[in-house]
Amino acid sequence: MSAPQLNQSDTAVTAEATSDDVLVPSGTDTEPALPDADAVSDDAVVEPVEVVSDTDDDEDDDEEADDLLVQEGDVAGDYLERLLDILDVDGDIDLDVEGDRASVAVVGGGLSTLIGPDGATLEALQELTRLAVAQSTGTRSRLMLDIGGYRAKRRADLTALGAEAARRVAESRQPERLTAMNPFERKVVHDVIAGAAGVRSESEGEEPNRRVVVLPDA
Amino acid sequence: MLEEALEHLVKGIVDNPDDVTVDLVTGRRGKTLEVRVHPDDLGKVIGRSGRTAKALRQVMTGVGGRGLRVDVVDTDGR
Repeated sequence: MSAPQLNQSDTAVTAEATSDDVLVPSGTDTEPALPDADAVSDDAVVEPVEVVSDTDDDEDDDEEADDLLVQEGDVAGDYLERLLDILDVDGDIDLDVEGDRASVAVVGGGLSTLIGPDGATLEALQELTRLAVAQSTGTRSRLMLDIGGYRAKRRADLTALGAEAARRVAESRQPERLTAMNPFERKVVHDVIAGAAGVRSESEGEEPNRRVVVLPDA
Repeated sequence: MLEEALEHLVKGIVDNPDDVTVDLVTGRRGKTLEVRVHPDDLGKVIGRSGRTAKALRQVMTGVGGRGLRVDVVDTDGR
């Protein structure tokens, strides 16, 4: 594999990755009872793992946290790179740290089999990669995986969709229900609505039909 | 290639990677990848509510086609 490349300077990428992807503003978000209903959630790690106790001061903690994220990226990169080798798929691995998460991107053409319908294979690979990282580091991982720019593209589309809905609702003062989305997608939309004037958002329904509702401010 | 890919994916998430084996078998219903792991690792490969096994299936059918099955063989009873 070739040397790491610079990550795409997509501003939306950075904005999303700095915050938690599954929290929603409403107080009604309960643990889904369905299996794998929440593919992007932090609950993806099956095994409880011990967290290193923080006896040092904050500065050391920050450094340790960054070191851990770099280590996460390294493990994830090795895991995915070997998979690409076995499958004889061409792709480069870009590693980055965005906010409080490791960010791993497989870039290149011909990656559609690893993305799957509606990103299903990508979600599965992210889950397995998080497990592999947890297995290696002993700490739960919240790393974000992108393949072939799928998430970046989806994020851009959803950002536009959310902004349009916010504009319509702010004008009409009528709530608008959006199509069902996975947790990652809802998070992107919630963030957009949170930054728009005169509107707020909630989630309603159960996975996999959970959706964002855009409401006018009271 | 498919066996090797699945073997790699599983080895990365278990405590006993040396005990992981994958066999590709052909039956009446098509091709099946049979995964065997150390009994202590069964829970890791299956995952809570089966989500890890489902993730493995999703990746392998994405790569090997929809007819491909993945079975985690329970070897605990030996």
